[in-house]
Amino acid sequence: MSFINYIAETAAAPEASGDVFSALGIDWRLLILQIIAFLILVFLLGKFVYPWLMKQVDERQTAIEAAAKAATEAQASAAESQQEVEALMHEARTQAAEIVDTAKLEATQMLSASEEKARSTAEKIAAEARIEVEKSIENAKRELHDETLELIALATEKVIHTKLDKKADAALIAAALKETK
Amino acid sequence: MSASLFAAMELHVSISSQPVFHLWSIPVTNAMLTGLVGVIITLAILWYVGGKVKRGKYNRFVGLVQWVFEGLLKQINDIIPDKKLARKITPLAVTIFFMVLINYWLSVVPGLESITWNGVPVLRSLAADLNFTLALAVITIVTVQMYAIKYLGAFGNGGRYFRNPIKDPIGSFEGILELIGEFSRGVALALRLFGNAFAGEVLLIVIAVLTSYLSAVVLPAFLAFELFIGFIQAYVFFVLCLIFTSLAVSHHGPSPDHSPAPAKKKKAVGRA
Repeated sequence: MSFINYIAETAAAPEASGDVFSALGIDWRLLILQIIAFLILVFLLGKFVYPWLMKQVDERQTAIEAAAKAATEAQASAAESQQEVEALMHEARTQAAEIVDTAKLEATQMLSASEEKARSTAEKIAAEARIEVEKSIENAKRELHDETLELIALATEKVIHTKLDKKADAALIAAALKETK
Repeated sequence: MSASLFAAMELHVSISSQPVFHLWSIPVTNAMLTGLVGVIITLAILWYVGGKVKRGKYNRFVGLVQWVFEGLLKQINDIIPDKKLARKITPLAVTIFFMVLINYWLSVVPGLESITWNGVPVLRSLAADLNFTLALAVITIVTVQMYAIKYLGAFGNGGRYFRNPIKDPIGSFEGILELIGEFSRGVALALRLFGNAFAGEVLLIVIAVLTSYLSAVVLPAFLAFELFIGFIQAYVFFVLCLIFTSLAVSHHGPSPDHSPAPAKKKKAVGRA
């Protein structure tokens, strides 16, 4: 551990003589020289080196800020586009709903109209059929009436054995029918 | 045998730097010679990087130095809110960082003190020379005072230290403490860097002596540790320089606002 003793001795010897600065190795001439040398170094670097480095850093910072600004603008634009798309989608959905409602309404109306038309057609057909049936019944009645008259005439002829002419026969039948009624 | 081999190293431990020769009666110390090498390396690196950046030619080394510079610049802007003041203090603060870093790292170079002339090591770490650390501290404190005077005015800055003890006894005492604080800051700046660098050198010698031949295996870990300490010391000196500047130009009133006071010139223009 003799080197530690050496340090202690080196430090203690000048201190004993009262020269603390010398013990620490402080020399005012060297101190001033080093201050001047360091200031010259600062001046040289500050004049010829740091401006370029700072300019480069500034340019990079400006580029980053510009990129950040562009990104913010792009984000805002994207958000705006999204809103526009949403608005368009909403409008499209509304229009589609309106179209569907209109189509449903028209379909219902068409169905109702078709039903009505079918019903009226059916009623018309039924009415015509009824008229036809009534006409047929009327014709049948008339034919039956005529045949009945003929039968009665024949029957009467056989009963009375007399051939009646058509006029007298009709008069007799009419009188008979009148009595039956 | 190993003891006698490593015993030679004991003689190289000295608190003060030793003069190698005299130039016009001014001693040229071994720390100054190493410092000259450090200055040349610092200038060469930054000049090379600056030139490359100026021409727009980049490589990994330029990118590394630029990355460090950008980090330092960000720190400066974070600590000193006033952009103009931050730009003004940048050359000093960044040069302090690079000079301390490179000179501290030079102390870690193996065999630095093995080259002797008339029994005196030719090279010795500049960071372990109190003249250098004191010079940096003096420059920092004087610069801080200059900016404080510029931003607060001579009377405003003086008012930080000297107040009427009758009107404001507590403030007056606070001012005295502030004045003592300014001196202690400077002394602490100088002694912190010197103490770390010198202790680092002694540590390496102690480890070399204690581990003898094993030092070839053990020392690299301590060398790496010293490199890290060198970075920390450079960064601490750099940050303290900025913090002292920021504190000096801040308002010291009842308001908690610590933003820099506007410069006197600006005030004059505003009044005009």
